Amino acid sequence: MPAGRRGPAAQSARQPPPLLPLLLLCVLGAPRAGSGAHTAVISPQDPTLLIGSSLLATCSVHGDPPGATAEGLYWTLNGRRLPPELSRVLNASTLALALANLNGSRQQSGDNLVCHARDGSILAGSCLYVGLPPEKPVNISCWSKNMKDLTCRWTPGAHGETFLHTNYSLKYKLRWYGQDNTCEEYHTVGPHSCHIPKDLALFTPYEIWVEATNRLGSARSDVLTLDILDVVTTDPPPDVHVSRVGGLEDQLSVRWVSPPALKDFLFQAKYQIRYRVEDSVDWKVVDDVSNQTSCRLAGLKPGTVYFVQVRCNPFGIYGSKKAGIWSEWSHPTAASTPRSERPGPGGGACEPRGGEPSSGPVRRELKQFLGWLKKHAYCSNLSFRLYDQWRAWMQKSHKTRNQDEGILPSGRRGTARGPAR
Amino acid sequence: MLACLCTVLWHLPAVPALNRTGDPGPGLSIQKTYDLTRYLEHQLRSLAGTYLNYLGPPFNEPDFNPPRLGAETLPRATVDLEVWRSLNDKLRLTQNYEAYSHLLCYLRGLNRQAATAELRRSLAHFCTSLQGLLGSIAGVMAALGYPLPQPLPGTEPTWTPGPAHSDFLQKMDDFWLLKELQTWLWRSAKDFNRLKKKMQPPAAAVTLHLGAHGF
Repeated sequence: MPAGRRGPAAQSARQPPPLLPLLLLCVLGAPRAGSGAHTAVISPQDPTLLIGSSLLATCSVHGDPPGATAEGLYWTLNGRRLPPELSRVLNASTLALALANLNGSRQQSGDNLVCHARDGSILAGSCLYVGLPPEKPVNISCWSKNMKDLTCRWTPGAHGETFLHTNYSLKYKLRWYGQDNTCEEYHTVGPHSCHIPKDLALFTPYEIWVEATNRLGSARSDVLTLDILDVVTTDPPPDVHVSRVGGLEDQLSVRWVSPPALKDFLFQAKYQIRYRVEDSVDWKVVDDVSNQTSCRLAGLKPGTVYFVQVRCNPFGIYGSKKAGIWSEWSHPTAASTPRSERPGPGGGACEPRGGEPSSGPVRRELKQFLGWLKKHAYCSNLSFRLYDQWRAWMQKSHKTRNQDEGILPSGRRGTARGPAR
Repeated sequence: MLACLCTVLWHLPAVPALNRTGDPGPGLSIQKTYDLTRYLEHQLRSLAGTYLNYLGPPFNEPDFNPPRLGAETLPRATVDLEVWRSLNDKLRLTQNYEAYSHLLCYLRGLNRQAATAELRRSLAHFCTSLQGLLGSIAGVMAALGYPLPQPLPGTEPTWTPGPAHSDFLQKMDDFWLLKELQTWLWRSAKDFNRLKKKMQPPAAAVTLHLGAHGF
């Protein structure tokens, strides 16, 4: 006890937490398991076995009072007592165990085989590692961000579960320069991935493979040969802006900037735009946007909010013949098309209910023309309704069939007119 | 359990004392240390659960109590009640500091090759938090004017290779390390709660208490 530092009245006046004395005393009073002088040794110690194989183990007791005996000893495996018929007393101080047709280890740290004394205390233990050697890893795929690094992913071999801890090592070397390198940064994009952050060479192919190793053996994947320039990806285009095109109700203009990291090399870059209406989950994709940094979306619904995203493929970088890898989509940008100018059913209501975002080009252009006419010419009586009335009249006189096919895209005759106007 | 190479901990740079400007007193840092022990206790519960499941039954069974064979070098939290109550502040803090220094060292050595990447990450995260607790305790000691414990020459814990350590024995050591960590955190909460109460005594007792501090 430390000498005399008791603040007398102050300390004793305070009540200690009531739980404390009880629990401390409990811990002090707890009987210590295995405090007897007997110990034992299990053989084999921490063996590694193939699934389905058999094991013969022994537990040999020794202790200070001679007379340590195998009487009353028993085995447990992963906490469960093993049936006595599997055990056999070999001699006065040794108990044997025979296990057959072992299953894969319950946990990768090894099955816990324990030898207990009669009173249940633990005398010794051994970890059993039962599993399979690894299979060849497959499906290696790699990509390089802006030609600065390389990230690779792979899939473990066909059966996956080896029941043993399996270590994967990604190796790579330049094709004609000999020296093997090992990737060091694992699990960057999932459990079977690795990232090589620097010192990558261009213009010479790399050979890449994955080695899988566990206690029972190892396996090596096929070698993947690739050129960094063929697997380049980049950041999504920054600064995506979506804006209206004057008063046009069915168009939006999208502008973006070439991804800065590769901006000087992206002569042939391809872009893709996707857009959707605010409360829809269906994206429409505009696919063939080559090497421009703007695009006009047409055929949109008036008075609607659209979300737009753009992504980039650094195709043909440094003369690579292959398509690169698409970047992630840019953050969604939103904009709305102007509301249709005419109030009432003649306006936006003219747009067929079925949502036909791909209205025929003729119809679309006609709408734009009429809109322009209204502003710039004295044709106040012109309206889309007039056009539709004309078309209805044309259909009635059967002469229209041939004429329609000449004007409108096929299959659209009469379908554009929704019942309710 | 193998002794641990821990020289790095003993050579921690002197922890700067708390803001002297408008010195709020050590009460705030004691409170923070208390809060940290509770937080760590909570973090450890989930880490220990996952780790013991990784070790597999019977290690993750509730009443498991294996022999404490190799774990003799672990700092023990259990202590006689009267001894605990009568610890002076300096000793109380020193015991905490030394205990966590050792425990952190062992925890860092708990580098189970076979553990999943996620488990290794959780362990690393916990080690960082524990390092934070050490820093916090050091802060309290500095605020109260106590020197950080330095090892005597010759008693510095160093790594000594022992007899080949079986995997099962290692599992038992891991079990006891986690248990001892749990017990220490639980005890530290009580230690810092006690210190906290001491720092807010009724006015009359203050002078008495401060007088007792002059070593």
